[in-house]
Amino acid sequence: MKYFVSRALAALLFLSMLTGICQAEVNYDALSRKASDLMAMGDLPGAVEILKQIPAPERNADGSAFVASRMQMARIYASLEEADNALAANQEILALYPDNSEARNFAAALKQQQMPRWRSVLADCRRFLPSLLKGATMTLLLVFCTMLVSPLGGLLIALGRISTLKPVSALCWFIIWFFRGTPLLLQLFFIYYGLPAFGVTLPPLTAAVIGLGLNYSAYLGEIIRGAIQSIDHGQMEAAKAIGMTYGQAMRRVIIPQTYKRLMPPVGNEFIALIKDTALVSTIAMVELMRSADQLFNTYFNITALALAACIYLLLTSIFTFMFEKIEYRAGIYERR
Amino acid sequence: MNDVKEPLIRLVNITKRFKELTAVKGVSLDVYPGEKLVIIGPSGSGKSTLLRAINLLEEVDEGNIRFEGREVGYVTRLGKRHLDKPHNICTLRAEIGMVFQHFHLFPHMTVLGNVMEGPLTVQKKGADESRQIAVDMLDKVGLSDKKDVYPATLSGGQKQRVAIARALAMKPKLMLFDEPTSALDPELVGEVFDTIHTLADEGMTMLIVTHHMGFARELADRVIFMEAGSFLAEGEPKEFFSKGQENERIRGFLNRLL
Repeated sequence: MKYFVSRALAALLFLSMLTGICQAEVNYDALSRKASDLMAMGDLPGAVEILKQIPAPERNADGSAFVASRMQMARIYASLEEADNALAANQEILALYPDNSEARNFAAALKQQQMPRWRSVLADCRRFLPSLLKGATMTLLLVFCTMLVSPLGGLLIALGRISTLKPVSALCWFIIWFFRGTPLLLQLFFIYYGLPAFGVTLPPLTAAVIGLGLNYSAYLGEIIRGAIQSIDHGQMEAAKAIGMTYGQAMRRVIIPQTYKRLMPPVGNEFIALIKDTALVSTIAMVELMRSADQLFNTYFNITALALAACIYLLLTSIFTFMFEKIEYRAGIYERR
Repeated sequence: MNDVKEPLIRLVNITKRFKELTAVKGVSLDVYPGEKLVIIGPSGSGKSTLLRAINLLEEVDEGNIRFEGREVGYVTRLGKRHLDKPHNICTLRAEIGMVFQHFHLFPHMTVLGNVMEGPLTVQKKGADESRQIAVDMLDKVGLSDKKDVYPATLSGGQKQRVAIARALAMKPKLMLFDEPTSALDPELVGEVFDTIHTLADEGMTMLIVTHHMGFARELADRVIFMEAGSFLAEGEPKEFFSKGQENERIRGFLNRLL
Protein backbone atom coordinates (compact mmCIF):
# COMPACT_ATOMS: atom_id res chain seq x y z
CA MET A 1 0.00 0.00 0.00
CA LYS A 2 2.78 2.39 1.05
CA TYR A 3 4.57 1.41 -2.12
CA PHE A 4 1.58 2.25 -4.26
CA VAL A 5 0.97 5.64 -2.64
CA SER A 6 4.56 6.74 -3.12
CA ARG A 7 4.49 5.69 -6.78
CA ALA A 8 1.23 7.56 -7.40
CA LEU A 9 2.71 10.69 -5.84
CA ALA A 10 5.75 10.45 -8.09
CA ALA A 11 3.47 10.28 -11.14
CA LEU A 12 1.55 13.36 -10.01
CA LEU A 13 4.78 15.32 -9.47
CA PHE A 14 5.93 14.47 -12.95
CA LEU A 15 2.60 15.68 -14.33
CA SER A 16 2.61 19.02 -12.59
CA MET A 17 6.00 19.77 -14.09
CA LEU A 18 4.73 19.07 -17.59
CA THR A 19 1.57 21.15 -17.28
CA GLY A 20 3.72 24.08 -16.12
CA ILE A 21 5.70 23.99 -19.34
CA CYS A 22 2.57 23.93 -21.50
CA GLN A 23 0.88 26.88 -19.81
CA ALA A 24 3.91 29.12 -20.12
CA GLU A 25 3.47 29.11 -23.87
CA VAL A 26 0.94 31.91 -23.97
CA ASN A 27 0.47 33.31 -27.43
CA TYR A 28 1.05 37.03 -27.90
CA ASP A 29 -0.42 39.29 -30.58
CA ALA A 30 0.94 42.83 -30.83
CA LEU A 31 -1.93 45.30 -31.33
CA SER A 32 -1.01 48.82 -30.44
CA ARG A 33 1.83 50.03 -32.62
CA LYS A 34 3.28 52.56 -30.24
CA ALA A 35 3.17 50.21 -27.32
CA SER A 36 4.62 47.64 -29.66
CA ASP A 37 7.60 49.84 -30.38
CA LEU A 38 8.27 50.39 -26.68
CA MET A 39 7.82 46.73 -26.06
CA ALA A 40 10.20 45.98 -28.87
CA MET A 41 12.75 48.09 -27.05
CA GLY A 42 11.99 46.17 -23.88
CA ASP A 43 10.30 49.07 -22.05
CA LEU A 44 7.26 47.23 -20.75
CA PRO A 45 6.24 49.78 -18.03
CA GLY A 46 6.49 52.50 -20.69
CA ALA A 47 4.21 50.54 -22.96
CA VAL A 48 1.71 50.18 -20.13
CA GLU A 49 1.74 53.96 -19.52
CA ILE A 50 1.00 54.55 -23.22
CA LEU A 51 -1.81 52.02 -23.25
CA LYS A 52 -3.35 53.52 -20.11
CA GLN A 53 -3.83 56.74 -22.08
CA ILE A 54 -6.41 55.07 -24.33
CA PRO A 55 -9.64 56.01 -22.53
CA ALA A 56 -12.87 54.14 -22.04
CA PRO A 57 -15.16 54.84 -24.99
CA GLU A 58 -18.13 57.22 -24.83
CA ARG A 59 -21.56 55.59 -24.80
CA ASN A 60 -22.27 53.83 -28.14
CA ALA A 61 -18.82 54.76 -29.43
CA ASP A 62 -16.43 52.22 -30.93
CA GLY A 63 -14.60 50.53 -28.04
CA SER A 64 -12.30 48.29 -30.02
CA ALA A 65 -9.17 50.38 -29.39
CA PHE A 66 -9.92 50.45 -25.65
CA VAL A 67 -10.51 46.70 -25.52
CA ALA A 68 -7.33 46.06 -27.47
CA SER A 69 -5.30 48.34 -25.18
CA ARG A 70 -6.59 46.75 -21.96
CA MET A 71 -6.00 43.27 -23.36
CA GLN A 72 -2.47 44.28 -24.21
CA MET A 73 -1.99 45.71 -20.71
CA ALA A 74 -3.33 42.54 -19.17
CA ARG A 75 -0.88 40.48 -21.25
CA ILE A 76 2.05 42.68 -20.26
CA TYR A 77 1.13 42.48 -16.59
CA ALA A 78 0.72 38.74 -16.96
CA SER A 79 4.17 38.49 -18.51
CA LEU A 80 5.54 40.53 -15.59
CA GLU A 81 3.77 38.06 -13.31
CA GLU A 82 1.64 40.86 -11.84
CA ALA A 83 -1.54 38.83 -11.89
CA ASP A 84 -3.59 41.30 -9.83
CA ASN A 85 -2.89 44.21 -12.22
CA ALA A 86 -3.57 41.92 -15.18
CA LEU A 87 -6.91 40.96 -13.73
CA ALA A 88 -7.74 44.64 -13.04
CA ALA A 89 -7.10 45.54 -16.67
CA ASN A 90 -9.23 42.63 -17.70
CA GLN A 91 -12.00 43.74 -15.35
CA GLU A 92 -12.05 47.15 -17.08
CA ILE A 93 -13.11 45.43 -20.29
CA LEU A 94 -15.59 43.12 -18.65
CA ALA A 95 -17.22 46.04 -16.78
CA LEU A 96 -18.19 47.55 -20.15
CA TYR A 97 -18.46 44.43 -22.27
CA PRO A 98 -19.37 41.49 -20.01
CA ASP A 99 -19.72 39.17 -23.03
CA ASN A 100 -16.26 39.77 -24.46
CA SER A 101 -15.05 36.23 -24.87
CA GLU A 102 -11.39 37.11 -25.31
CA ALA A 103 -11.33 38.88 -21.96
CA ARG A 104 -13.30 36.13 -20.27
CA ASN A 105 -11.00 33.40 -21.54
CA PHE A 106 -7.98 35.40 -20.52
CA ALA A 107 -9.38 35.91 -17.03
CA ALA A 108 -10.16 32.21 -16.75
CA ALA A 109 -6.68 31.29 -17.89
CA LEU A 110 -5.19 33.75 -15.40
CA LYS A 111 -7.26 32.30 -12.60
CA GLN A 112 -6.24 28.79 -13.57
CA GLN A 113 -2.64 29.93 -13.62
CA GLN A 114 -3.05 31.36 -10.14
CA MET A 115 -4.60 28.07 -9.01
CA PRO A 116 -1.98 25.80 -7.44
CA ARG A 117 -0.85 23.17 -9.95
CA TRP A 118 -2.09 20.26 -7.91
CA ARG A 119 -5.59 21.75 -8.03
CA SER A 120 -5.57 22.12 -11.78
CA VAL A 121 -4.34 18.54 -12.13
CA LEU A 122 -7.08 17.47 -9.76
CA ALA A 123 -9.63 19.29 -11.91
CA ASP A 124 -8.31 17.40 -14.96
CA CYS A 125 -8.58 14.13 -13.06
CA ARG A 126 -12.16 14.86 -12.16
CA ARG A 127 -12.85 15.58 -15.82
CA PHE A 128 -11.20 12.38 -17.11
CA LEU A 129 -12.10 9.92 -14.39
CA PRO A 130 -15.64 8.96 -15.51
CA SER A 131 -14.65 7.79 -18.99
CA LEU A 132 -11.47 6.15 -17.68
CA LEU A 133 -13.48 4.24 -15.08
CA LYS A 134 -15.85 3.11 -17.79
CA GLY A 135 -12.84 1.85 -19.72
CA ALA A 136 -11.49 0.18 -16.58
CA THR A 137 -14.79 -1.68 -16.17
CA MET A 138 -14.31 -3.18 -19.62
CA THR A 139 -10.71 -4.06 -18.79
CA LEU A 140 -11.88 -5.85 -15.65
CA LEU A 141 -14.57 -7.69 -17.57
CA LEU A 142 -11.95 -8.92 -20.02
CA VAL A 143 -9.63 -9.94 -17.20
CA PHE A 144 -12.33 -11.89 -15.38
CA CYS A 145 -13.55 -13.66 -18.50
CA THR A 146 -9.97 -14.69 -19.31
CA MET A 147 -9.39 -15.74 -15.70
CA LEU A 148 -12.42 -18.02 -15.94
CA VAL A 149 -11.48 -19.55 -19.28
CA SER A 150 -7.71 -19.88 -19.15
CA PRO A 151 -7.23 -22.00 -15.98
CA LEU A 152 -9.65 -24.59 -17.38
CA GLY A 153 -7.99 -24.47 -20.78
CA GLY A 154 -4.60 -24.58 -19.11
CA LEU A 155 -5.53 -27.64 -17.05
CA LEU A 156 -6.79 -29.47 -20.14
CA ILE A 157 -3.62 -28.59 -22.05
CA ALA A 158 -1.45 -29.66 -19.10
CA LEU A 159 -3.23 -33.00 -18.70
CA GLY A 160 -3.03 -33.48 -22.46
CA ARG A 161 0.68 -32.80 -22.47
CA ILE A 162 1.41 -35.48 -19.87
CA SER A 163 -1.06 -37.92 -21.41
CA THR A 164 0.38 -41.20 -22.67
CA LEU A 165 -1.83 -40.91 -25.74
CA LYS A 166 0.58 -39.64 -28.38
CA PRO A 167 -1.92 -37.69 -30.57
CA VAL A 168 -3.35 -35.84 -27.56
CA SER A 169 0.02 -34.82 -26.21
CA ALA A 170 1.19 -33.81 -29.69
CA LEU A 171 -1.89 -31.62 -30.16
CA CYS A 172 -1.36 -29.91 -26.82
CA TRP A 173 2.31 -29.44 -27.59
CA PHE A 174 1.29 -27.76 -30.85
CA ILE A 175 -1.18 -25.43 -29.13
CA ILE A 176 1.46 -24.31 -26.66
CA TRP A 177 4.07 -23.98 -29.39
CA PHE A 178 1.81 -21.85 -31.54
CA PHE A 179 0.28 -19.54 -28.97
CA ARG A 180 3.49 -18.94 -27.07
CA GLY A 181 5.43 -18.50 -30.27
CA THR A 182 3.39 -15.76 -31.94
CA PRO A 183 2.55 -12.26 -30.68
CA LEU A 184 -0.75 -11.88 -28.87
CA LEU A 185 -1.42 -8.82 -31.01
CA LEU A 186 -1.15 -10.93 -34.15
CA GLN A 187 -3.45 -13.58 -32.69
CA LEU A 188 -6.06 -10.92 -31.87
CA PHE A 189 -5.79 -9.46 -35.38
CA PHE A 190 -6.19 -12.89 -36.89
CA ILE A 191 -9.26 -13.74 -34.82
CA TYR A 192 -10.96 -10.37 -35.33
CA TYR A 193 -9.88 -9.34 -38.82
CA GLY A 194 -8.77 -12.68 -40.29
CA LEU A 195 -11.55 -15.08 -39.34
CA PRO A 196 -14.24 -13.15 -41.30
CA ALA A 197 -12.41 -14.32 -44.42
CA PHE A 198 -13.34 -17.86 -43.36
CA GLY A 199 -16.94 -16.82 -42.77
CA VAL A 200 -16.62 -16.38 -38.99
CA THR A 201 -17.36 -12.86 -37.82
CA LEU A 202 -17.06 -12.30 -34.10
CA PRO A 203 -18.05 -9.29 -32.01
CA PRO A 204 -15.00 -7.55 -30.51
CA LEU A 205 -15.59 -8.76 -26.94
CA THR A 206 -15.91 -12.40 -28.03
CA ALA A 207 -12.86 -12.15 -30.24
CA ALA A 208 -10.88 -10.54 -27.41
CA VAL A 209 -11.86 -13.21 -24.86
CA ILE A 210 -11.08 -16.03 -27.31
CA GLY A 211 -7.71 -14.51 -28.17
CA LEU A 212 -6.69 -13.77 -24.58
CA GLY A 213 -8.19 -17.07 -23.40
CA LEU A 214 -6.23 -19.21 -25.88
CA ASN A 215 -3.00 -17.33 -25.31
CA TYR A 216 -3.22 -17.54 -21.53
CA SER A 217 -4.39 -21.17 -21.63
CA ALA A 218 -1.19 -22.00 -23.44
CA TYR A 219 0.98 -20.24 -20.87
CA LEU A 220 -0.96 -21.60 -17.89
CA GLY A 221 -0.85 -25.06 -19.51
CA GLU A 222 2.92 -25.11 -19.25
CA ILE A 223 2.82 -23.76 -15.71
CA ILE A 224 0.25 -26.32 -14.58
CA ARG A 225 2.13 -29.16 -16.29
CA GLY A 226 5.29 -28.13 -14.48
CA ALA A 227 3.47 -27.98 -11.15
CA ILE A 228 1.88 -31.41 -11.64
CA GLN A 229 5.19 -32.97 -12.58
CA SER A 230 6.90 -31.34 -9.61
CA ILE A 231 4.71 -33.27 -7.17
CA ASP A 232 6.63 -36.21 -5.68
CA HIS A 233 6.00 -39.33 -7.72
CA GLY A 234 5.30 -41.20 -4.49
CA GLN A 235 2.04 -39.29 -4.13
CA MET A 236 0.68 -40.87 -7.32
CA GLU A 237 1.89 -44.30 -6.18
CA ALA A 238 0.32 -43.92 -2.75
CA ALA A 239 -2.96 -42.89 -4.35
CA LYS A 240 -2.83 -45.83 -6.73
CA ALA A 241 -1.91 -48.19 -3.91
CA ILE A 242 -5.20 -47.51 -2.12
CA GLY A 243 -7.01 -48.29 -5.36
CA MET A 244 -7.55 -44.87 -6.90
CA THR A 245 -7.93 -44.50 -10.64
CA TYR A 246 -5.65 -42.04 -12.46
CA GLY A 247 -8.49 -39.51 -12.55
CA GLN A 248 -9.24 -39.84 -8.83
CA ALA A 249 -5.54 -39.55 -7.98
CA MET A 250 -5.22 -36.40 -10.07
CA ARG A 251 -8.37 -34.81 -8.73
CA ARG A 252 -8.02 -35.72 -5.06
CA VAL A 253 -4.27 -35.94 -4.52
CA ILE A 254 -2.05 -34.41 -7.18
CA ILE A 255 -3.86 -31.30 -8.38
CA PRO A 256 -4.77 -29.96 -4.91
CA GLN A 257 -1.08 -30.06 -4.02
CA THR A 258 -0.18 -27.92 -7.03
CA TYR A 259 -2.24 -24.93 -5.86
CA LYS A 260 0.44 -23.47 -3.64
CA ARG A 261 3.12 -23.91 -6.28
CA LEU A 262 0.83 -22.47 -8.94
CA MET A 263 0.01 -19.23 -7.16
CA PRO A 264 3.26 -17.26 -7.76
CA PRO A 265 3.55 -17.96 -11.50
CA VAL A 266 -0.19 -17.75 -12.09
CA GLY A 267 -0.32 -14.46 -10.19
CA ASN A 268 2.40 -13.23 -12.49
CA GLU A 269 0.45 -14.30 -15.54
CA PHE A 270 -2.75 -12.61 -14.39
CA ILE A 271 -0.91 -9.37 -13.68
CA ALA A 272 0.58 -9.56 -17.16
CA LEU A 273 -2.96 -10.23 -18.38
CA ILE A 274 -4.29 -6.97 -16.88
CA LYS A 275 -1.75 -5.09 -18.96
CA ASP A 276 -2.11 -7.29 -22.04
CA THR A 277 -5.79 -6.36 -22.24
CA ALA A 278 -4.50 -3.00 -23.52
CA LEU A 279 -3.78 -4.81 -26.80
CA VAL A 280 -7.46 -5.38 -27.51
CA SER A 281 -7.84 -1.62 -27.99
CA THR A 282 -6.56 -2.42 -31.48
CA ILE A 283 -9.61 -4.51 -32.32
CA ALA A 284 -12.25 -1.87 -31.73
CA MET A 285 -12.68 -2.42 -28.00
CA VAL A 286 -12.90 0.60 -25.73
CA GLU A 287 -11.14 -0.40 -22.54
CA LEU A 288 -8.90 1.53 -20.21
CA MET A 289 -6.00 2.06 -22.61
CA ARG A 290 -8.27 3.11 -25.44
CA SER A 291 -10.19 5.55 -23.20
CA ALA A 292 -6.95 7.14 -22.05
CA ASP A 293 -5.73 7.37 -25.64
CA GLN A 294 -8.95 9.05 -26.76
CA LEU A 295 -8.78 11.60 -23.93
CA PHE A 296 -5.14 12.30 -24.67
CA ASN A 297 -5.84 12.89 -28.33
CA THR A 298 -8.83 15.15 -27.58
CA TYR A 299 -7.34 17.35 -24.85
CA PHE A 300 -3.66 16.73 -25.45
CA ASN A 301 -3.42 16.45 -21.70
CA ILE A 302 -0.99 13.96 -20.27
CA THR A 303 -3.00 13.73 -17.04
CA ALA A 304 -5.29 11.27 -18.82
CA LEU A 305 -2.39 8.88 -19.44
CA ALA A 306 -1.02 9.28 -15.92
CA LEU A 307 -4.44 8.61 -14.46
CA ALA A 308 -4.79 5.48 -16.58
CA ALA A 309 -1.39 4.35 -15.33
CA CYS A 310 -2.65 4.86 -11.77
CA ILE A 311 -5.73 2.74 -12.44
CA TYR A 312 -3.60 -0.05 -13.96
CA LEU A 313 -1.35 0.12 -10.91
CA LEU A 314 -4.32 -0.04 -8.59
CA LEU A 315 -5.65 -3.13 -10.37
CA THR A 316 -2.30 -4.92 -10.40
CA SER A 317 -1.72 -4.02 -6.74
CA ILE A 318 -5.05 -5.56 -5.77
CA PHE A 319 -4.13 -8.72 -7.69
CA THR A 320 -0.69 -8.91 -6.11
CA PHE A 321 -2.19 -8.62 -2.67
CA MET A 322 -4.91 -11.17 -3.46
CA PHE A 323 -2.48 -13.77 -4.78
CA GLU A 324 -0.19 -13.39 -1.78
CA LYS A 325 -3.16 -14.15 0.47
CA ILE A 326 -4.27 -17.11 -1.64
CA GLU A 327 -0.74 -18.52 -1.71
CA TYR A 328 -0.59 -18.33 2.05
CA ARG A 329 -3.94 -20.09 2.38
CA ALA A 330 -3.03 -22.75 -0.18
CA GLY A 331 0.13 -23.70 1.68
CA ILE A 332 -1.31 -23.67 5.18
CA TYR A 333 -0.88 -27.44 5.59
CA GLU A 334 2.89 -27.17 5.20
CA ARG A 335 3.31 -25.10 8.33
CA ARG A 336 4.07 -26.87 11.55
CA MET B 1 0.21 -75.82 8.16
CA ASN B 2 -0.20 -74.56 4.63
CA ASP B 3 -0.74 -77.84 2.87
CA VAL B 4 -4.50 -77.70 2.57
CA LYS B 5 -4.99 -74.00 2.02
CA GLU B 6 -5.11 -72.22 -1.30
CA PRO B 7 -2.40 -69.54 -1.44
CA LEU B 8 -3.70 -65.99 -1.09
CA ILE B 9 -1.24 -64.86 -3.67
CA ARG B 10 0.82 -66.93 -6.06
CA LEU B 11 3.61 -65.51 -8.19
CA VAL B 12 4.83 -67.67 -11.02
CA ASN B 13 8.06 -66.99 -12.83
CA ILE B 14 8.02 -63.21 -12.38
CA THR B 15 10.63 -61.42 -14.47
CA LYS B 16 11.18 -57.68 -14.58
CA ARG B 17 13.75 -56.05 -16.78
CA PHE B 18 14.84 -52.45 -16.65
CA LYS B 19 16.85 -51.17 -19.59
CA GLU B 20 19.98 -53.17 -19.09
CA LEU B 21 19.31 -54.74 -15.76
CA THR B 22 17.11 -57.68 -14.96
CA ALA B 23 15.82 -56.75 -11.53
CA VAL B 24 13.75 -59.87 -10.91
CA LYS B 25 14.66 -63.14 -12.56
CA GLY B 26 11.86 -65.64 -12.83
CA VAL B 27 10.81 -65.65 -9.21
CA SER B 28 7.95 -67.83 -7.99
CA LEU B 29 6.33 -67.46 -4.59
CA ASP B 30 3.24 -68.58 -2.70
CA VAL B 31 1.92 -66.59 0.25
CA TYR B 32 -0.75 -68.31 2.31
CA PRO B 33 -3.49 -66.56 4.29
CA GLY B 34 -2.22 -65.42 7.66
CA GLU B 35 1.40 -65.90 6.72
CA LYS B 36 4.06 -63.33 7.62
CA LEU B 37 6.78 -63.41 5.04
CA VAL B 38 9.92 -61.32 5.32
CA ILE B 39 12.22 -60.69 2.38
CA ILE B 40 15.76 -59.61 3.13
CA GLY B 41 18.78 -59.04 1.00
CA PRO B 42 21.25 -56.40 -0.10
CA SER B 43 19.96 -53.25 -1.76
CA GLY B 44 19.42 -53.55 -5.48
CA SER B 45 18.53 -57.21 -5.17
CA GLY B 46 14.99 -56.73 -6.49
CA LYS B 47 13.08 -57.00 -3.21
CA SER B 48 11.14 -53.77 -3.63
CA THR B 49 10.53 -54.38 -7.32
CA LEU B 50 9.03 -57.76 -6.49
CA LEU B 51 6.81 -56.23 -3.83
CA ARG B 52 5.65 -53.48 -6.18
CA ALA B 53 4.95 -56.02 -8.89
CA ILE B 54 2.35 -57.63 -6.67
CA ASN B 55 0.06 -54.60 -6.64
CA LEU B 56 1.04 -53.72 -10.19
CA LEU B 57 2.86 -50.49 -9.42
CA GLU B 58 5.56 -52.20 -11.44
CA GLU B 59 4.55 -53.79 -14.72
CA VAL B 60 6.55 -57.00 -15.15
CA ASP B 61 7.74 -58.50 -18.39
CA GLU B 62 6.98 -62.15 -17.72
CA GLY B 63 5.12 -64.30 -15.27
CA ASN B 64 1.68 -64.62 -13.75
CA ILE B 65 0.07 -63.33 -10.61
CA ARG B 66 -2.85 -65.15 -9.04
CA PHE B 67 -4.78 -63.52 -6.24
CA GLU B 68 -7.21 -65.77 -4.38
CA GLY B 69 -6.92 -68.27 -7.19
CA ARG B 70 -7.80 -65.88 -10.00
CA GLU B 71 -5.42 -64.61 -12.61
CA VAL B 72 -4.85 -60.87 -12.17
CA GLY B 73 -3.02 -57.96 -13.72
CA TYR B 74 -2.36 -58.98 -17.27
CA VAL B 75 -4.31 -60.00 -20.33
CA THR B 76 -3.13 -61.37 -23.64
CA ARG B 77 -4.53 -59.72 -26.74
CA LEU B 78 -3.44 -60.80 -30.20
CA GLY B 79 -0.58 -62.72 -28.69
CA LYS B 80 0.73 -59.66 -26.85
CA ARG B 81 0.80 -59.12 -23.15
CA HIS B 82 -0.97 -56.04 -21.81
CA LEU B 83 -1.84 -54.59 -18.43
CA ASP B 84 -5.43 -55.37 -17.51
CA LYS B 85 -8.16 -52.73 -17.66
CA PRO B 86 -7.61 -49.89 -15.16
CA HIS B 87 -10.80 -50.82 -13.34
CA ASN B 88 -9.60 -54.38 -12.63
CA ILE B 89 -6.20 -53.14 -11.53
CA CYS B 90 -7.78 -50.66 -9.14
CA THR B 91 -10.01 -53.39 -7.74
CA LEU B 92 -6.96 -55.54 -7.03
CA ARG B 93 -5.02 -52.68 -5.44
CA ALA B 94 -7.98 -51.89 -3.21
CA GLU B 95 -7.61 -55.35 -1.69
CA ILE B 96 -3.86 -55.05 -1.12
CA GLY B 97 -2.55 -52.50 1.33
CA MET B 98 0.87 -50.99 0.80
CA VAL B 99 3.17 -49.07 3.13
CA PHE B 100 6.09 -47.18 1.63
CA GLN B 101 9.53 -46.39 2.94
CA HIS B 102 8.84 -42.65 2.67
CA PHE B 103 5.23 -42.83 3.92
CA HIS B 104 3.79 -40.76 1.04
CA LEU B 105 1.04 -39.32 3.18
CA PHE B 106 -1.13 -36.79 1.38
CA PRO B 107 0.24 -33.54 2.85
CA HIS B 108 -2.80 -31.43 1.98
CA MET B 109 -5.18 -33.60 3.99
CA THR B 110 -5.41 -33.94 7.75
CA VAL B 111 -4.48 -37.25 9.36
CA LEU B 112 -8.15 -38.19 9.43
CA GLY B 113 -8.54 -37.06 5.82
CA ASN B 114 -5.65 -39.30 4.78
CA VAL B 115 -7.11 -42.36 6.43
CA MET B 116 -10.69 -41.85 5.24
CA GLU B 117 -9.66 -41.05 1.68
CA GLY B 118 -9.71 -44.70 0.56
CA PRO B 119 -13.15 -45.62 1.89
CA LEU B 120 -14.54 -42.27 0.76
CA THR B 121 -13.16 -41.98 -2.77
CA VAL B 122 -12.37 -45.54 -3.78
CA GLN B 123 -15.04 -47.52 -1.99
CA LYS B 124 -17.52 -44.66 -2.25
CA LYS B 125 -18.71 -45.05 1.30
CA GLY B 126 -20.50 -42.10 2.86
CA ALA B 127 -18.60 -39.42 4.74
CA ASP B 128 -19.88 -40.55 8.13
CA GLU B 129 -19.07 -44.20 7.59
CA SER B 130 -15.64 -43.34 6.17
CA ARG B 131 -14.91 -41.11 9.13
CA GLN B 132 -15.92 -43.87 11.55
CA ILE B 133 -13.62 -46.36 9.80
CA ALA B 134 -10.79 -43.82 9.87
CA VAL B 135 -11.25 -43.09 13.57
CA ASP B 136 -11.22 -46.83 14.33
CA MET B 137 -8.02 -47.33 12.33
CA LEU B 138 -6.33 -44.37 14.00
CA ASP B 139 -7.32 -45.86 17.34
CA LYS B 140 -5.67 -49.10 16.31
CA VAL B 141 -2.36 -47.35 15.54
CA GLY B 142 -2.72 -45.18 18.64
CA LEU B 143 -3.02 -41.82 16.92
CA SER B 144 -6.65 -40.81 17.32
CA ASP B 145 -5.55 -37.69 19.21
CA LYS B 146 -3.71 -36.52 16.09
CA LYS B 147 -6.62 -36.88 13.73
CA ASP B 148 -7.09 -33.18 12.99
CA VAL B 149 -3.48 -32.16 12.35
CA TYR B 150 -1.63 -32.11 9.05
CA PRO B 151 1.08 -34.72 8.40
CA ALA B 152 3.79 -32.03 8.39
CA THR B 153 3.44 -31.75 12.17
CA LEU B 154 4.02 -35.49 12.83
CA SER B 155 7.22 -37.35 13.60
CA GLY B 156 8.44 -39.98 11.13
CA GLY B 157 7.14 -42.81 13.29
CA GLN B 158 3.73 -41.20 13.58
CA LYS B 159 3.62 -40.61 9.84
CA GLN B 160 4.32 -44.25 9.15
CA ARG B 161 1.62 -45.34 11.60
CA VAL B 162 -0.85 -43.06 9.83
CA ALA B 163 0.24 -44.60 6.53
CA ILE B 164 -0.47 -48.04 8.00
CA ALA B 165 -3.89 -46.85 9.17
CA ARG B 166 -4.58 -45.46 5.69
CA ALA B 167 -3.81 -48.85 4.14
CA LEU B 168 -5.85 -50.70 6.77
CA ALA B 169 -8.89 -48.49 6.22
CA MET B 170 -9.41 -50.30 2.91
CA LYS B 171 -9.77 -53.59 4.83
CA PRO B 172 -7.07 -55.26 2.72
CA LYS B 173 -6.52 -59.00 2.57
CA LEU B 174 -2.77 -58.59 2.17
CA MET B 175 -0.38 -55.94 3.43
CA LEU B 176 2.86 -55.09 1.68
CA PHE B 177 5.53 -53.25 3.68
CA ASP B 178 8.36 -51.80 1.61
CA GLU B 179 11.14 -51.04 4.10
CA PRO B 180 8.70 -49.40 6.50
CA THR B 181 11.36 -48.30 8.99
CA SER B 182 14.31 -47.48 6.74
CA ALA B 183 13.58 -43.75 6.68
CA LEU B 184 13.07 -43.47 10.44
CA ASP B 185 15.35 -42.33 13.20
CA PRO B 186 16.37 -45.37 15.28
CA GLU B 187 14.34 -44.31 18.30
CA LEU B 188 11.16 -44.17 16.21
CA VAL B 189 11.49 -47.66 14.72
CA GLY B 190 9.99 -49.37 17.75
CA GLU B 191 6.56 -47.75 17.58
CA VAL B 192 6.17 -48.77 13.95
CA PHE B 193 7.27 -52.35 14.66
CA ASP B 194 4.81 -52.52 17.54
CA THR B 195 2.02 -51.47 15.21
CA ILE B 196 3.00 -54.09 12.64
CA HIS B 197 3.17 -56.67 15.45
CA THR B 198 -0.36 -55.87 16.51
CA LEU B 199 -1.50 -56.45 12.96
CA ALA B 200 0.39 -59.72 12.79
CA ASP B 201 -1.28 -60.90 15.96
CA GLU B 202 -4.65 -60.20 14.37
CA GLY B 203 -3.76 -62.65 11.62
CA MET B 204 -3.11 -60.23 8.79
CA THR B 205 -1.26 -61.73 5.85
CA MET B 206 1.84 -59.68 5.20
CA LEU B 207 4.88 -59.42 3.04
CA ILE B 208 7.65 -57.31 4.49
CA VAL B 209 10.87 -56.06 2.97
CA THR B 210 13.19 -54.91 5.71
CA HIS B 211 16.79 -54.51 6.77
CA HIS B 212 16.03 -55.05 10.45
CA MET B 213 17.06 -58.63 11.10
CA GLY B 214 15.88 -58.64 14.69
CA PHE B 215 12.42 -57.67 13.58
CA ALA B 216 12.49 -60.29 10.81
CA ARG B 217 13.46 -63.02 13.23
CA GLU B 218 10.78 -62.05 15.72
CA LEU B 219 7.89 -61.64 13.35
CA ALA B 220 8.40 -63.88 10.34
CA ASP B 221 6.93 -67.30 9.68
CA ARG B 222 9.26 -67.55 6.75
CA VAL B 223 12.32 -65.57 5.63
CA ILE B 224 13.51 -65.26 2.07
CA PHE B 225 16.96 -64.06 1.14
CA MET B 226 17.03 -62.39 -2.23
CA GLU B 227 20.06 -61.43 -4.23
CA ALA B 228 20.53 -60.25 -7.81
CA GLY B 229 16.90 -60.85 -8.68
CA SER B 230 16.60 -64.41 -7.40
CA PHE B 231 15.74 -66.20 -4.18
CA LEU B 232 18.99 -67.48 -2.77
CA ALA B 233 17.50 -69.20 0.22
CA GLU B 234 14.39 -69.41 2.31
CA GLY B 235 13.53 -70.91 5.61
CA GLU B 236 12.10 -70.49 9.06
CA PRO B 237 13.70 -67.61 10.92
CA LYS B 238 15.06 -69.78 13.70
CA GLU B 239 17.29 -71.80 11.44
CA PHE B 240 17.80 -68.96 9.01
CA PHE B 241 19.37 -66.68 11.56
CA SER B 242 21.14 -69.42 13.47
CA LYS B 243 24.89 -69.35 13.65
CA GLY B 244 24.90 -72.52 11.64
CA GLN B 245 23.70 -70.80 8.50
CA GLU B 246 25.38 -72.80 5.80
CA ASN B 247 25.22 -70.36 2.91
CA GLU B 248 28.35 -68.29 3.05
CA ARG B 249 26.84 -65.36 1.16
CA ILE B 250 23.96 -65.09 3.58
CA ARG B 251 26.21 -65.55 6.58
CA GLY B 252 28.36 -62.67 5.36
CA PHE B 253 25.31 -60.49 4.84
CA LEU B 254 23.91 -61.27 8.28
CA ASN B 255 27.24 -60.76 10.00
CA ARG B 256 27.49 -57.31 8.55
CA LEU B 257 24.06 -56.39 9.82
CA LEU B 258 23.86 -58.05 13.21
